[in-house]
Amino acid sequence: MTHVTDEVRSLIGLEGPVTTAAYPLGHDEVRRFVQAAMEEGVIHLDREAANRRGFKDVVATPLFPVHYLRRPSGSPDPFERFAEDPEWDGLEYESAFGGLPPIRLSLRRILNGGVRAEFFKLAEIGDVISSQSTYLDISERTGSRGDMVLVEIETSYTNQDGELLMRVRNTIIMR
Amino acid sequence: MTILTENQRYFEDVRVGNELTPLTRGPITSSHLMRWSAAIENWHRVHYDAPFAQEHEQLPDLLVNGTWKQHFLVQMVRRWLGDEGWLASIDFSFRKMDRRGDLLTATGLVTDVYTRDGLGFVAADIGIWNPREENSTPGTALGVLPLRAGSAVPYPFPDADHARTQATSP
Repeated sequence: MTHVTDEVRSLIGLEGPVTTAAYPLGHDEVRRFVQAAMEEGVIHLDREAANRRGFKDVVATPLFPVHYLRRPSGSPDPFERFAEDPEWDGLEYESAFGGLPPIRLSLRRILNGGVRAEFFKLAEIGDVISSQSTYLDISERTGSRGDMVLVEIETSYTNQDGELLMRVRNTIIMR
Repeated sequence: MTILTENQRYFEDVRVGNELTPLTRGPITSSHLMRWSAAIENWHRVHYDAPFAQEHEQLPDLLVNGTWKQHFLVQMVRRWLGDEGWLASIDFSFRKMDRRGDLLTATGLVTDVYTRDGLGFVAADIGIWNPREENSTPGTALGVLPLRAGSAVPYPFPDADHARTQATSP
């Protein structure tokens, strides 16, 4: 069965819109994130330690930017969907596609296959993070568990000065 | 950045076959999973709703978030590289499920060492091991360490791809 039709294939190379955080990165967000990640690095927790290492304040961890995109106050809350559909699995399908037009196939499951990340700079308190994603490749294969479609998305994360923080290539498996 | 770590690792100290210091987390409880899901606003119920995970999704138990495991690997490698090192890149794939109750250990093994542009690069195989002796998240990492007689690792770290693009541009 062909899942990757010409229409789907035409998405390869498509660059999505630049998406920018609604708010600058704040202390409380970094603290809650660092604690939940069980990160122990002092430059993420202690301002004085961060100062001694040449940072003006605590800094986010290298991979933090993948979680930066918070909804502005007053925007629709995806959580409301539980009221309409108590059986909802809680998975926000569209969020897997990084702002690109989501690929919709007859394959129901969507899995995070893997990540390749390159790091250049740590996000700082007050940074306004932006990202932009591109469909690098969309391919299909038939394995022991049936058909699967592999979607490769590359996303670059920058700060308000256009400095590159991180570049991530994510493999999404649809099956 | 100022050198504060007395036992900063230098490139010359590292050999192929060296182990990166393992890092252990857990046993991972439902509270850990709930805290992580809330911190990143991920409402996928397989991470906090046990009846849903087991009865609806036919899973053995609540799953440890892949989004958390990626940070765990980064933490293990960065701790080993020290304050003056830099994690240049990391890649991994999610192959097996880690579950509630698992004690997880992130490990690494040096596979290559080389210098380029006055910097010491260390490549390593990495992974996360669970109590079922599965490497749930195998991958590789590329770290940069200072040379004893060399200059500090640059920060921000330069984008080699960008430099190559610039160099080949007419």
